[in-house]
Amino acid sequence: MTSHRYVRHALLSVVLLLASPLWAASGTMLRDDQLRTAASATAAVTAQVPRGANVEVLARQGGWTQIRVGGRTGWVRMLSVRATESTQRDVGGELAGVIGLGTRQADPSRVVSVAGVRGLNEQDLKAARFDAQELERLDRYVVGRAEALAYAREGGLAARTLDYLPAPAQASRQSNPWEEPQW
Amino acid sequence: MVRKSLVLVLALSAVSLFAQASNVERALRDLLLGRQPAPAQDNKSAGQEKPAPAAMATPPQQAPAAQPERRPRTADLLGGLLSFVAEPPQTLEEERNIGRTVAGGLLGAAPLVRDDRLQRYVNLVGRWVALQSERPDLDWHFGVIDSEDINAFAMPGGYVFVTKGLYRQLNSEGELAGVLGHEIGHVIRKHHLRMMQQTRALADLGAVVGRRMEGGSAIASNFMGNFWEAFARGLDKDAEYEADRIGMVLAARAGYDAYGLPTVLQEIGHVSASDSRVAFLFRTHPHPDDRFAKLSEAVGNRLDGLPEGKTLSDRFYRIR
Repeated sequence: MTSHRYVRHALLSVVLLLASPLWAASGTMLRDDQLRTAASATAAVTAQVPRGANVEVLARQGGWTQIRVGGRTGWVRMLSVRATESTQRDVGGELAGVIGLGTRQADPSRVVSVAGVRGLNEQDLKAARFDAQELERLDRYVVGRAEALAYAREGGLAARTLDYLPAPAQASRQSNPWEEPQW
Repeated sequence: MVRKSLVLVLALSAVSLFAQASNVERALRDLLLGRQPAPAQDNKSAGQEKPAPAAMATPPQQAPAAQPERRPRTADLLGGLLSFVAEPPQTLEEERNIGRTVAGGLLGAAPLVRDDRLQRYVNLVGRWVALQSERPDLDWHFGVIDSEDINAFAMPGGYVFVTKGLYRQLNSEGELAGVLGHEIGHVIRKHHLRMMQQTRALADLGAVVGRRMEGGSAIASNFMGNFWEAFARGLDKDAEYEADRIGMVLAARAGYDAYGLPTVLQEIGHVSASDSRVAFLFRTHPHPDDRFAKLSEAVGNRLDGLPEGKTLSDRFYRIR
């Protein structure tokens, strides 16, 4: 009977959560950005979201995060908003996929405090003795160029050309980050 | 104003004198060790980066091409001079020996996780990411070490370690690629060698370089002690921010989601600062929130044209 009630309670919670689009992690805007109708810089802009605004974080897709702010829902750049709580601390462990935050799996190690486990600090490092056997073991896992290329191909990965990013001090010399970038 | 300029000129002179002294020291060492002066390697200074165009996707390549050497800009002259001074003088062989010595020490503190498939997996992913860098053919070694701490380590010469605690925080191959990319960034920019130059470790460096230290000697253990002491102080913040930018770019070049690393930073940022698992990480790195914010500043709209990469969360090897 108790377990029956528990199941019913759990089901109700799931239904409520699914029905409630309001469930979301909260977040803060790190910079001004534009709210867009889709996860793309070419999508229509529906609003301006100022730095410091509190938003709800709904989902992520590539370099874009879906947020809700002031009753509007839309997309901003992933790096424009910082979730102020874990987007992965999902209720029930299975709902993350439903609300679009990816296939996060419940991992007890995240919430259970780890007491008395093996840490690694500067004292441990300074006191450590050189371990030749472990180094030899490490050597055994080394992967050659050809193997790495094959494994990438297997995963559908293809190399792309992309320049390194300049340090922000240089980047901030641009008058307005939303204008055409200058180089 | 005039006084400021004078101070700057004086500082520059001092710096260039030091540079000459470093060269003399290096030449002397070459002479003493009876070898040819070391050839310039794939050294690139931080100041040589240039902004990326908005759309940079190109058709898939079979083999990733090394990025072309870029000319420093006038604005980077001072930075260029400083990084020239700080350019570590080690040859590739010396760098490898230093890395191996320190890696052996780290493994003495925390051995590899006993999971062959896991270790193989991080090497497959890591090597592919490293292939996108300007040092694709270093002896890259990747390993997951048995510690619940949340941390990762890079050693000169291509040794990269992730703790089991950090690995458990990851949810996709793309996130792993971003984390490994950050560490690869430290290696290719020789951040630790630069740091060691500025510390007492340099005194023992002469004894370690050029020969293989298996840790038995007093010099080697003294060297390791000094290295870890410097290590525990952490790298310069800018080195960490630079490695973050490199981590994102290398993961993206490898075809992964460019945002794996900031995703991980965001998650680690939510771990309480009082949690002992992040104590060492937080002591030696800027707070993950600051790193995320710095990435935000650096990226802006530069990656808008970059097609979405892969996360490969299905292929991600989950730790037992």
